Amino acid sequence: MTTDNSKTGVGQGLDQAAKAALLRETMPFKTVPDATLRRIADLAKEETLPAGTRLYNEGDRADDLFVIASGKIEHALGPEAEASKLVKMVKRGDVIGWAALLSTKQRRLATTVAEADTQILRINAQKLRDLFQNDQQTGDMVMSRFATMIKEDYTLPDWLAKTRSIGEGTVARSEAEVPVSESRLALLGYRLGLWVKSPKPYLMITGFTAVLLFWHFSVDVFEWPRFRNMPGLVEVITEWLSRDPIYGLSVWTPEYYTHIIVSIRRVFIAFLLATALGVTLGLFMGWSKGVREFVFPVFETLRPVPILAWVPLAIIIFFHPESTVIFLTFLASFYATALNTMLGVDSIDESYSRAASCLGANKWQVFRHVIVPGALPFIFTGLQISVGVAWFSLVAAEMVSGEFGLGFVINTSYTMVKYPTIVIGMITLGAVGYTTSAMVRMLGDHLMQWRVRELAMGGR
Amino acid sequence: MSAVMNKPGKGSQNLKVNSAEMRVEGVSKSYGIAHLRENVVHNASFVIEKSKLTVMIGPSGCGKSTLIRLLAGFDKPDSGTVTIDGKPVKGPDRDRLVVFQESALFPWMNTYDNIMYGPRARGEVDDETKALAEFLLDKVGLTQFRNKFPSQLSGGMQRRAELARAMINFPRVMILDEPFRGLDAMTKELMWEYYAGLYEESRRTNFFVTTDIDEAIFLADRLLIMTNIPTQVRAVLEVDLPRPRNLKELLESDRANEIKMEALGILHEEAMKSFSSGSAAASDFIEAYSKRVKKKG
Ligand SMILES: Nc1ncnc2c1ncn2[C@@H]1O[C@H](COP(=O)(O)OP(=O)(O)OP(=O)(O)O)[C@@H](O)[C@H]1O
Ligand SMILES: [Mg+2]
Repeated sequence: MTTDNSKTGVGQGLDQAAKAALLRETMPFKTVPDATLRRIADLAKEETLPAGTRLYNEGDRADDLFVIASGKIEHALGPEAEASKLVKMVKRGDVIGWAALLSTKQRRLATTVAEADTQILRINAQKLRDLFQNDQQTGDMVMSRFATMIKEDYTLPDWLAKTRSIGEGTVARSEAEVPVSESRLALLGYRLGLWVKSPKPYLMITGFTAVLLFWHFSVDVFEWPRFRNMPGLVEVITEWLSRDPIYGLSVWTPEYYTHIIVSIRRVFIAFLLATALGVTLGLFMGWSKGVREFVFPVFETLRPVPILAWVPLAIIIFFHPESTVIFLTFLASFYATALNTMLGVDSIDESYSRAASCLGANKWQVFRHVIVPGALPFIFTGLQISVGVAWFSLVAAEMVSGEFGLGFVINTSYTMVKYPTIVIGMITLGAVGYTTSAMVRMLGDHLMQWRVRELAMGGR
Repeated sequence: MSAVMNKPGKGSQNLKVNSAEMRVEGVSKSYGIAHLRENVVHNASFVIEKSKLTVMIGPSGCGKSTLIRLLAGFDKPDSGTVTIDGKPVKGPDRDRLVVFQESALFPWMNTYDNIMYGPRARGEVDDETKALAEFLLDKVGLTQFRNKFPSQLSGGMQRRAELARAMINFPRVMILDEPFRGLDAMTKELMWEYYAGLYEESRRTNFFVTTDIDEAIFLADRLLIMTNIPTQVRAVLEVDLPRPRNLKELLESDRANEIKMEALGILHEEAMKSFSSGSAAASDFIEAYSKRVKKKG
């Protein structure tokens, strides 16, 4: 049996039974009844492609589909085909060229080149369709098997698809109440239990111990050149807890607390201002395109300017040291909060606002009931960053101006060569800063109980 | 609660409202600009008949959700008109409620607050509304879950909560965009029964979009079959099966199978066209086909 296609050679003459047997091996034709399969075999023309022959190119007109009988063909889909694998090798039993079966737009989606001498069956798609027209039942079945075959190329890898459907299935099927403890205390206890059982606390302790040991050994034991002049661990602890501190500052001296309180007060005021203004500005920037276009460029220009660069201007403007410090502390927090809030509004799925307006909410109600709560998770992420940043800037500001505060302690101790006091100031700063950001996190969890529960269910 | 249940007249009477008819006439809609511009809806015309459940079925990505945005008023057609009882649609309004393809329950509100959101937003909370909320909570089987947040509900419960949240507002037209997509087969069938029950009780105008032929036939009074993108109505089938319907009877009913085969025949042609237009369409085609083969086998 030969073909009139000049590109290809002459086959060795497979008979109808051999063709039918080959078709039987393919995915789409596997379940076709014998009689129909023989008729398809009659449509199939055998051809031999020498190695290197190009069977078809992407974009060519598609008239035929092909079954590989022997040899191998490289099948390369165009990059826009969204396939899971673009290039694959097809061999005996594989079927290619299914684009010919589409009733419109019959264009090749791939380029195929014979990798070795290859024997193929060429089946005219129009004739195949005509055949199926008279046997719709079989036609549907073949088409569906084609579809399954194609799906394997076009969608997620199987194992991934499976894991996903298992996940979704369990959620959908569990009509029963999900056992989540109502009591916050119980939830807290549960989490604490988990935490103690997890490696986390032990790693944390190990981390602190390692740093302290390093400090102690490098300064006091080995006396490494660069570390020798640093205050040692023992010296600092002794000074810190001493009733009669050599350098005048310890947990027993009232000034220690004055410094802490002054710093906390400044951070508190700056943080409140930054939150009030930052959240408001962020919400409006996210909500209204007009406000954003108006404000955002200015905002983004000012944001990279470091706090220290603001110092001279701040002093000129505010003059009073207290206000100067608060302003400088405020700035960076304000940026962090505003930016995160804006991103929070962006993150809200549009379907929530649509649902609200469908249900009769006016614009202002959408803002209060959807935009604000929807942005809350991002706002609180922003606030946690913002407290951290506030302490950061506070120290910078206090070093420049002001008469009290932890930053002031660190700076004056340096000029007055009270090295252990510097470290006391640093450690105190760290501890107080950590506490404030933990408080912000707890406030957030309290306000967003719907999320706490979400997270608790996620096993966190 | 039980007081309301004992007076079935009251609650279910409440669900009866003045339905409206919607008309889509010569509507076209494109997205994108210049050579990226894609015509999604092309000269589509159809009627969503008053007090009927009209189901729209079409290949994935053909433009069904786009049409819903036009019906709801979130988007405006490039040409043509969308009217409700003869008045042009200007924007979203409570007389047309949309239940979205993806869950749009507010994650920060519990079930009860979600359901009550519409009346509260409009300042229309009275004893009657509260009683209706209880009635609906019971109707969709969520009374025990009134204080749960959406993340604590299963997929099926979330869909039912959304139905209740829409029903409480007496919409004149209810529009649902593949509300049961992604649910497992069992839950899905349960949802069909819930939903069909709610519809039969209220007989308000419903417009339901799906890609699932069994869902379509089980629910529809009228079935609109859409062409591939750019979409328009390809065929309208009257699904003249008696109500209330029962899934088992429907499977055995010759008339139901006849309608299904007719619809599938048309869908088949559209799906063949959609084959070349990408993976999503191909997988939809596969879905329809594997289903058809399964049922026959
Ligand atoms: N806002 C938009 N901007 C640009 N293109 C869009 C937009 N909305 C929809 N489209 C395009 O319109 C086509 C139809 O989308 P649509 O969501 O209406 O389909 P659908 O029939 O609802 O599909 P599915 O069954 O998967 O939900 C898609 O090709 C999509 O890319
Ligand atoms: Mg859609």
